[in-house]
Amino acid sequence: MAAALEQYVTTVQTLSSQGNFTALVEFISKNMEMLGKNAPHLDNVLATLDYQQHSIGVMGILVMKLNQQSIPDFETLFVQIQEFITSCNGEQARYALESFAELCHKFTLQIVERKQPARGLSILVRAIQKIQLHPAQLTSIHSDLCQLCLLSKNLKPALQFLDVDITDISREGGHYDAKDFLLYFYYGGMIYTALKIYTRALYFFEMASSTFLFAVTTPSMAVSHIMMEAYKKFILVALIVQGKIPSLPKYAPQIVARYIKPLCQAYHDLANAYATNNPAEVRAAVTKHSETFTRDNNMGLVKQCVTSMFKKNIQRLTKTFLTLSLADMANRVQLSGPVEAEKYVLHMINDGEIFATINQKDGMVRFHDNPEKYNSSSMLLDLDREMQKCIKMDEKLREMDREIAVNPQYVQKVSGIHDEDMPASSSSKGQSF
Amino acid sequence: MAGDADIDFLGLTQELEVQELEAPGGVATPQLYGQLLALYLLQNDLCNAKFLWKRIPQNIKTANPELSTIWVVGQRMWLRDLPGVYEALKKEWSEAVKPIMMALRDSVHKKAFNLVRLGYSSISVEDFSLFVGLSTSDAKQAALQDGWMLDSQSRFLTPKKLESVITASLPSEQHLSILTDYVSFLEN
Repeated sequence: MAAALEQYVTTVQTLSSQGNFTALVEFISKNMEMLGKNAPHLDNVLATLDYQQHSIGVMGILVMKLNQQSIPDFETLFVQIQEFITSCNGEQARYALESFAELCHKFTLQIVERKQPARGLSILVRAIQKIQLHPAQLTSIHSDLCQLCLLSKNLKPALQFLDVDITDISREGGHYDAKDFLLYFYYGGMIYTALKIYTRALYFFEMASSTFLFAVTTPSMAVSHIMMEAYKKFILVALIVQGKIPSLPKYAPQIVARYIKPLCQAYHDLANAYATNNPAEVRAAVTKHSETFTRDNNMGLVKQCVTSMFKKNIQRLTKTFLTLSLADMANRVQLSGPVEAEKYVLHMINDGEIFATINQKDGMVRFHDNPEKYNSSSMLLDLDREMQKCIKMDEKLREMDREIAVNPQYVQKVSGIHDEDMPASSSSKGQSF
Repeated sequence: MAGDADIDFLGLTQELEVQELEAPGGVATPQLYGQLLALYLLQNDLCNAKFLWKRIPQNIKTANPELSTIWVVGQRMWLRDLPGVYEALKKEWSEAVKPIMMALRDSVHKKAFNLVRLGYSSISVEDFSLFVGLSTSDAKQAALQDGWMLDSQSRFLTPKKLESVITASLPSEQHLSILTDYVSFLEN
């Protein structure tokens, strides 16, 4: 083993046992080049280090191994990474969040290239749990996990993270890439859409298409593409859930209105056709733009929009009629006949979308009011849960407000000590979204 | 575990999901896939069943035709083709999935029964028998046992509606303390 590597091992061991992790991180970043030159001997170095006690030192070597032009023995590296993620010391890893995240990104890339996304799932789940300070913290590894879930068609592992609302973002080396943030919400939206959890999907696509990131006032190509694709899916899911496009929140960045919307004409046409409640117009819009929809891989969602329009039209009938014959209903919402109408109504009853009973003898449908009387104890429990959520959110908001109020940069800005020559706000911009 | 009537299906599902993730090379055993697929169907979790089917490697599907037979049931469920579901369920299942498929049949049957009760004020005997997967005479029998009415030409059934169940309310002191919390929150 070369002398430089021996020195690396000794330094890692000494600094780790002293607990001087800041110095260790610095030492390793300076020695990356040296490690690269000694690539063939890295396995020997690994053998002398303990994954638990010398986590940072091991991490440096693994990152280096992943950075090689071509990885000679990926299976060994896979096992090493698996063992590292399982047994590494989370506290040490948090001193070197940047390399830890880099390790996970590169690992994801390798696994995707090798078309074995399923193998990475449990490793990334563990990786996120290792470095999260609390479950509501978003790390840049979240988007990697979501990507692997989608690629391996195994969506459940991501849900435990997606279901938690994010209140905090992990700072990895002092910054967090806007791309990782947007991808997390975009992939998350796709996962919820695939599982037909549409209201949650809508929220995720809204986040991905309209979050105001200071970092993207001059957006890079990749970022604006994510936002545009998210915006397209946002429209489609909104039509399925609400039957119309909700206006984007006020904080949505201008680039959405200025650059993204004009590029999504096909989707706006569909929404306009949808607003007429006329199946013929919607079908015409779908046919006209079918090429665009297919190219964007959104045809499946478009078809569900068409189905949802029939359902919305049937729901509208319940507001006007108490009873209606199936034939009449088929006529009004332009279904093929009473049989198809009966099928739609039955499915909607099954899904709790309308309250009705079908009378086959007379061929009539009778619409009811919602049987929920809001006086049961289960309703009280639901209410209780919602109230608890509100109380928690209120607490969280106050806490964040306090944090901002004592932020020196913020105080300086509002107290009016504003020196024109000093770009006082630029450093705070990247952090506040 | 086969033959045991009270299997903890939910617990088994979670266990199998973890096993699949830990499987070497990301590929699990055919038996695991079969059981997990059947369990998703039992929970009416068709989306996850569909994705599981999509991620099972092709060579495993070809070597284990039972997986396809299970998935046919899923396809029929996806299309809400109840007669098709009963038809697809009429198979000889291997020991590993048999209890799950039996439970699935029961649950589809029960759900269909409840749906008719909820959604129809009168339904033809033929349609009803298709929904519940019984012969017309058996279906009629089952309905009458449940207190449903049959009209004079014995062509239409009138389902008996369920009385809404009145659940016990919370003790009033607890109730009061919860409300106090809310009021103090809202006023601040």
